[in-house]
Amino acid sequence: MAKPRNTLFSTQTAKRSRKARATVLAARPLMRWRGVDLITAAMLAVAFGVVFWGFDTFIYPVLSLATANFPPAGELMLGVWLIPAVVGALVIRRPGAALFTELVAANVELFLGNKWGAAVLLSGVLQGLGVELVMALFRHRRYGVVVAALGGVFSAVFEIVLYEWQSYVADFSGAWKAVYLGCGMVSGAVIAGVGGWLLVRALARTGALNAFPPGQEVRESQVA
Amino acid sequence: MRGALVEVRDLTWRPFGRREPALAGISLQIEPGSRVLLAGPSGSGKSTLLRALAGVLTSTETGDLTGSVLVDGLPSAGSSVGLMMQDPADALVAGRVGRDVAFGPESFGLPRDQIWSRVRSALASVGFPYDQAHATGALSGGETQRLALAGVLALTPGLVLLDEPTSMLDPMSAAVVREAIMSAVAASGATLVMVEHQLADWVDHLDRLVVLDHAGRVSLDGPVATTLAKSTDSLVAQGVWVPAVTAPRWLDVALALCAPTLPSGLGGLPPGVLVSAESVSVTRQPHASVMSANRPVGAVQALLDVCAEVRAGECVAVIGPSGAGKSTLTALLAGVEGPSQGRVCGRGELLAGMGGSPPEAIHRWTSRDLAARFGWVPQQAEQAIVGRTVRDDVLSTSRRLGLDDDASQARVDGLLEVLGLTALSGADPHHLSGGEQRRLALAGAIAHGPSVLVLDEPSVGQDRSTWSAVAGVIVAARDAGVGVVLATHDPLLIALADRRITLQAGRVLDLGVNSQPLPAPDAVAMMNEPAGRYAGLASRSGPLSLLLASIVLVLGAPFIFDLRTALIAMGVQVALAPVVLGVGPPSWRRLLPCLFAVASVSFSNWLLSPGREVSSGALAGLRVAFFVVPGVLLASRIDPSALGDHLGQGLRLPARPVVAAVAALHRFEGLGEHWDQLARIRRVRGLGPGRSPLGRGRSVAALTFGLLIETLRQAGRMAVSMEARGFSAAVTSGRRRTWAEPAPWLPSDSLMLALALVVAGLPVMLSRM
Repeated sequence: MAKPRNTLFSTQTAKRSRKARATVLAARPLMRWRGVDLITAAMLAVAFGVVFWGFDTFIYPVLSLATANFPPAGELMLGVWLIPAVVGALVIRRPGAALFTELVAANVELFLGNKWGAAVLLSGVLQGLGVELVMALFRHRRYGVVVAALGGVFSAVFEIVLYEWQSYVADFSGAWKAVYLGCGMVSGAVIAGVGGWLLVRALARTGALNAFPPGQEVRESQVA
Repeated sequence: MRGALVEVRDLTWRPFGRREPALAGISLQIEPGSRVLLAGPSGSGKSTLLRALAGVLTSTETGDLTGSVLVDGLPSAGSSVGLMMQDPADALVAGRVGRDVAFGPESFGLPRDQIWSRVRSALASVGFPYDQAHATGALSGGETQRLALAGVLALTPGLVLLDEPTSMLDPMSAAVVREAIMSAVAASGATLVMVEHQLADWVDHLDRLVVLDHAGRVSLDGPVATTLAKSTDSLVAQGVWVPAVTAPRWLDVALALCAPTLPSGLGGLPPGVLVSAESVSVTRQPHASVMSANRPVGAVQALLDVCAEVRAGECVAVIGPSGAGKSTLTALLAGVEGPSQGRVCGRGELLAGMGGSPPEAIHRWTSRDLAARFGWVPQQAEQAIVGRTVRDDVLSTSRRLGLDDDASQARVDGLLEVLGLTALSGADPHHLSGGEQRRLALAGAIAHGPSVLVLDEPSVGQDRSTWSAVAGVIVAARDAGVGVVLATHDPLLIALADRRITLQAGRVLDLGVNSQPLPAPDAVAMMNEPAGRYAGLASRSGPLSLLLASIVLVLGAPFIFDLRTALIAMGVQVALAPVVLGVGPPSWRRLLPCLFAVASVSFSNWLLSPGREVSSGALAGLRVAFFVVPGVLLASRIDPSALGDHLGQGLRLPARPVVAAVAALHRFEGLGEHWDQLARIRRVRGLGPGRSPLGRGRSVAALTFGLLIETLRQAGRMAVSMEARGFSAAVTSGRRRTWAEPAPWLPSDSLMLALALVVAGLPVMLSRM
């Protein structure tokens, strides 16, 4: 504690774009998670678990009846379950954040007694890996709305192609499988991607993310 | 052992986003074994200094830190320092008492036998009344506080740091906790630094007083008794509650700021009854839980056969020990909760201006009708935030009710001025200190002119001057004809009340009448296996084999290509069910949703298959049923805490993510309750959802956002508390975390996994035949 220091964030920020605001990254080394990173990701996952529980119990049955005559439309809701992965990645900004957050959220569903059994864990892994792939492609340096939307899309693609095509909709015709995938991708981009990005920005503005890079971005933009 | 020597040199801390430092050039030398009381006005940086002494300041906050803190000559970190935060609930990490206390010793990698001897001696030193298997969720406030203290002492720290250890407790529980602290510290000889607002009960036990001022500097430092005597006036001026100084008087507040908007019952004698609760009882059912193995099955009787009245122009205090049902009764009288039996009705003048025929019971009123007549401040005042800025927050109910804007704006500004919030009127309410948030909630509850004002612990965390303002608003509201209800431990506020209702264990305590024996406070029973019935292989299997078995079945399902295979595989599963799951009816609560899912998969695959073949639908349904039905039933046997132990030991997964996930899972129920509380707040503030789908959607969005904010704040407090107990010690020291309980792989686990592999392999074998 001899001289001023800032242990939380990387002093090196990503290449400044034409836009005024710089992206703040997590402190290096990226793989060394702080305790608060782990606890916050896990707690966010549990909070989403609380919301999903309400969604599964009260809202989803109504919506799935409404879309019963056109099942792919039901997949337009897929993005709701992908939000933890995107939000985890955008808040923590470390490799594994999306996977960890989504997997803990899946565990909450499992222990509460959901309708898919242990398959939710498999879904959670695939959904998390989809977002991880996109974050890695951008070398863990970009956390804008486009990256978030792409994360949502890949999350949906992993979930549908590697799991749902094999299990829930295995007997759909090829064309309907494609429509089903398209609906899932749109939902991933809009609900999980754009929605998750807006949610993180709104949370950062309340000061609740001050210990994380998005909170630091808000403060720097206020100083500027 | 001896206490630690603490040397603080020129410590300065400025959080990012603040112009002024929170701690400004603090230098202190604290001798081994001394006992220091840290005091000062609210917002002076006392808690911040404690976190700096514990070395966890930068674990959740960002800012510029200069200077040094040395404990026994080393940078503060590790097991030499124990920190107990203000709300002991933030420290809970496990479902059982023993495991919770074991958290610190586990983090520092102690061998198992040493862990348990530490746990035993720590629980004994705080006089803990229950055994190690007791559920942490079934403890009272004082017991939770003693548990948190034991969690700190299990580290055998040379320096113990306590942040307002008794502020949330009633006087009796506070005395027990104080006793536990002093005897435990005396036994270990540790150095003690403690933050406290109310000095009176502590001065005899401590030997040094350090006072921080508003600027975060040390303004006074010396032996307790002489410093108090010498500097009484300056301490009082800073708002410090100095013992034996006359209690502050309430502030004179203009009645117009607090007067009801609707006609009040004042003027008639006797004062008009506004609300009456007629033999109400409240039985609480346990919340939905992810902790299947610790799930309490017993309902809790929070109130039993209580009658109460709220009258215009009268202030009634609801008093009694923690856990007696004060908060429950006030929630009923504010119409935010309904009783299980009996009823709470609006009376007389309160019903004026209500269109049509409103329901008798106030908890069935519309959000708008309720908001126009009631104001409520919950015990956790930070939950009451509904606006983006302080001023916006206070105005929101008036706006929703369409009250005349100029007048209500003037009233809001007047209230902000009285309560010392004017300078903060543009600030985000989430950035306020705890005491400020409580005053904000009071302003928001009274600004729109309700006829009934219900306040749960309105004076906690206030210094002398802000206490006067809070008391002033209460007195002015009463004098202007509002019916006021206060639930409080604060003797000064109780003295202001016209009438008292004393509760004990959920009943009204009648002085003079000897009440019947009270029900045991610990009404939460633990789930037990029904005796004598074969519970199946699953009950003898560990969590890991149950989980692996479920996953193996998922992987087998895609190999089901024809109906014959599907039917044979399902037949084998049904035949094995009694062996694996035991005899007896299945859990329909868990089974119905997944049967519904199977049906919907069948339907959609039939609808969209090429040629709409019935067999396609049936096959798709059976393929899903193959893994979801057993998966759901096996998952219900998994205890998440045990799963954590097995993942960390059996599979050797990294310990920190596993421990963080298990600790977070224990918060599920609390977060669910928080959601309910946020919904109550919005209803009493006039922001309830209404009937339109759009309004409901907006309300769910607002509740979700509020829940996430609370989640993030709770995660920050948990992180400080867990880091102070060595959560990340393994990262810095390189010593592996140990586990208090073993996670053996038993023969029954192998059998379970083998069965699952055989069943999952059936489709593969049958498709080759």
